[in-house]
Amino acid sequence: MRASNLHLTRPTSRTLVLYDRWLLMAALILVTLGLLMVASSSMTVAQQYYQQSFYFLIRQSIHLLAGVIATFIVIRIDTQVWQKLSGWLLLIGVALLVLVLIPGIGRTVNGSTRWIGFGPFSLQVSELVKCWTIMYLAGYIARHRLALRCDWISFLKPLMIVGVIALLLLGQPDFGASVVILLTCLGMLFLAGVRLWQYAVVMAMATAGFAMIAISSPYRLARITGFLNPWADQFDSGYQLTQSLIAFGRGGWFGNGLGESVQKLFYLPEAHTDFIFAILTEELGLIGGLGVIVLFAIIIWRGMAIARRALLHEQWTVGYLAYGFTLWLGLQAIINIGVSTGLLPTKGITLPLVSYGGSSLIVTCIVVGLLLRIDYEIRWKILGLGVSRGKL
Amino acid sequence: MLIKRHGFLLGTLLILTLGLGWRLVELTIVDRDFLQYQGNARSVRTIEVPAYRGVITDRNGAPLAISSPVRAAWLNPQVFIANDQQLTRLASLLNQPLEQLKNKIQQGAHKEFMYLARGLPPAVARDIEALKLPGVYFNQEFKRYYPEGEITSHLLGITDIDDMGQEGLELAYDQWLSGEVGKKQVLKDRIGHVIGEVAHVKKPRSGNDLTLSIDRRIQYIAYRELKKAVERHQAVSGSIVILDVVSGEILAMVNQPSFNPNARVELTPDHMRNRSITDLFEPGSVIKAFSVASVLESGQVTPDTMVDTAPGWLILNGQVIQDLQHNGQLSVSDVLRRSSNVGVAKLALELPENHLYQSLRQFGFGETSNTYFPGESRGAVVQPNQKQKLSIATLAFGYGISVTPLQLAQAYAVFARQGKFLPATLVKEGNQKQPEKQVISPQVSETVLAMLESVVDQGSARRAKVPGYRVAGKTGTSRLAGNGGYYQDKHVATFVGIAPVDHPRLVMAVVIHEPKNGSYYGGVVAAPVFSSVMTDALRLLEVSPDNSRTLA
Repeated sequence: MRASNLHLTRPTSRTLVLYDRWLLMAALILVTLGLLMVASSSMTVAQQYYQQSFYFLIRQSIHLLAGVIATFIVIRIDTQVWQKLSGWLLLIGVALLVLVLIPGIGRTVNGSTRWIGFGPFSLQVSELVKCWTIMYLAGYIARHRLALRCDWISFLKPLMIVGVIALLLLGQPDFGASVVILLTCLGMLFLAGVRLWQYAVVMAMATAGFAMIAISSPYRLARITGFLNPWADQFDSGYQLTQSLIAFGRGGWFGNGLGESVQKLFYLPEAHTDFIFAILTEELGLIGGLGVIVLFAIIIWRGMAIARRALLHEQWTVGYLAYGFTLWLGLQAIINIGVSTGLLPTKGITLPLVSYGGSSLIVTCIVVGLLLRIDYEIRWKILGLGVSRGKL
Repeated sequence: MLIKRHGFLLGTLLILTLGLGWRLVELTIVDRDFLQYQGNARSVRTIEVPAYRGVITDRNGAPLAISSPVRAAWLNPQVFIANDQQLTRLASLLNQPLEQLKNKIQQGAHKEFMYLARGLPPAVARDIEALKLPGVYFNQEFKRYYPEGEITSHLLGITDIDDMGQEGLELAYDQWLSGEVGKKQVLKDRIGHVIGEVAHVKKPRSGNDLTLSIDRRIQYIAYRELKKAVERHQAVSGSIVILDVVSGEILAMVNQPSFNPNARVELTPDHMRNRSITDLFEPGSVIKAFSVASVLESGQVTPDTMVDTAPGWLILNGQVIQDLQHNGQLSVSDVLRRSSNVGVAKLALELPENHLYQSLRQFGFGETSNTYFPGESRGAVVQPNQKQKLSIATLAFGYGISVTPLQLAQAYAVFARQGKFLPATLVKEGNQKQPEKQVISPQVSETVLAMLESVVDQGSARRAKVPGYRVAGKTGTSRLAGNGGYYQDKHVATFVGIAPVDHPRLVMAVVIHEPKNGSYYGGVVAAPVFSSVMTDALRLLEVSPDNSRTLA
């Protein structure tokens, strides 16, 4: 009966759109651009160290293929499935975080133990954990959304869990992931309607905590103060950042052209991972760089719109899930770009969908897939075609 | 409330992205100059561009020394990575044993620069480049190549690995030949590979070409015949110098033993000396022509004045001067034809004080030529003591004077030039501004030339004859001086000649040191070499035969 109503209210010539086209297009453009830039920025370095120019490109292509397949799978799975699993997933996540810290299991690269290896593959645990923590927290907020607005305990309980995860991440050490997950979760709780003064207290404590952690370790302090004036120590702690800034400067309005970066020629370390945005701007110019920022802004805008619509239709869990994922992608992109432009301290954090890195790319693909799935479910709901989901 | 918070957060995030956008504008546009300057300071380097060294050609433009582009491969051991397979390939391309290469790299492990190989042919360099080994770099260089090899090696000398003249004309004309190194700015990656050119700061200036007076073809003939003669007579060394009579230009200058400048294995000074210019010897009888000229020039005698050489020997200051045979009464002409020591000694003793010495100096003995050749010997003429009659007598037949083969040819050219002296030069048209100096009167010159022709016709130098041309010349056979006197068994065989007599074109000196196999006389060892070289040289230069002879 509802279906016939639909026929009455909507012109038949218009096709049904069940996905957010803006979000999909932005993600697709970013992924394509990312693959291009990984190829451009890594070829010379790959030739040097692996005697194979396409070493990173081939791997990233495989990651992307896996990511796309995973996205197609995720898009077809009811989000309720994840909701039911979220507790277990969180437990597995925490277990993995502990496991990676056990000597002999975790793989250490550049002084950080972030990976668990399976033969030729290695998994960056933090990427999965970020995803699962957000899933868990979204469920928690949905269940306790009323209590969260008044009582301390409901507010602090999830914070404790997130705090433990953040500490485990710091143990790797992965300061960047730790900051991202904490900020994302705080953002979700803010959107859940936690009282502002309570929120302010927690924010102050978190800030103080991070400040103490930063100051306690000389290497972190050096990194943090280094970004303020990278030219003071340009051949040591400021080296990477100055090389990154030079890349932007070389770019100018329209860039040197694809493949024409100089900074990628061993000057800028991590040119294909954390600092890919600098190389992108060097080759594609201000226009290219602004384009990427706009694409991320679109993702933020559409992700939050999806979340808001879900909440308006009282789909609490998926709503907060969408908020969480959007905040994650948005914050990580902002921090990454902030780092490479010298606005934030240097941190090992990737540019979602663009940087080289298997776990990061696959998980962000899945996250985009989940956002699309949530949007899809809400659209069905609005159309009144949704299957009853029971009480959320 | 939720809507407000949604708006607040969305706003915050979008403001942050706007902030990033502004920062991007700041870096790419506002700070651009500063950042580019910083970037260039790290990646733009000025490198030298080698200049092309001038070509040395013979008088007809045939190349004798050319610079070919080669490449030097060098290594930064700090960056260098290669597996065993790559190392093996590298070693085979460099033509070095693998172990030796490994040791070399091992020894340089602490350095940041070491040459792998220099002067690599471009094709080999490209093959090495194709290995794409990190830390292996290339420089453009030039390598000198000498198409005529050992035939011109003494004359041209050599350059060192940095393309600087080290010996011979390469050294003498180094400034003229070398260009000016240029400079260009290039973009380098952090490990030093040049990835692009930015600008030419200074273009390299190529060196000047040098055209020699040498005729490649005559040089070749002279070398071939000299080598043959030195081998046949098992001689220690030998030289031939050929001069153009009119211009004083050296058309050929060859020596034995020689060396291959393109494959320098063990170079010893013995092989590398340009003996024609650097080596002195006492010439013996070939000097008699100048003694006779000096006597005639003094006006005290005529060609027909008779000299009594009986009994074939003469005692001066307790030393015996001997002729090879008993000649009795000889005219001045016959003294030269028979090469009588006694006759020439008696004539010289009649000369005013220092007259012979002065004459010899005027003929260029004891002076440098116009070649500016590094290591040129000027030789010496001993100034005789008037009371020491022996020293005057011996000087008259070529002892007590040290000369180079070049000086002999240069001096004999005076008889071919109506008594005018012109220093020899190795550069084409190098004598254009050089004034000729009248050393003896044209009449005396003509007379001596006629006498010298009779030496070849009827005297000791019959083997120097050239079919179809009239030849004048004089042989010499002198003993080598060593510690404590003259060696009994070490001789220098010499012949200096002029052809053709009625319109002299070429002067040639042939000097062969220590011939061992059989005869050691100039007339037997040196004269035939003159004949065969002159025969070919005159034909090459298309010199018309002497009519009188062809008619006869």
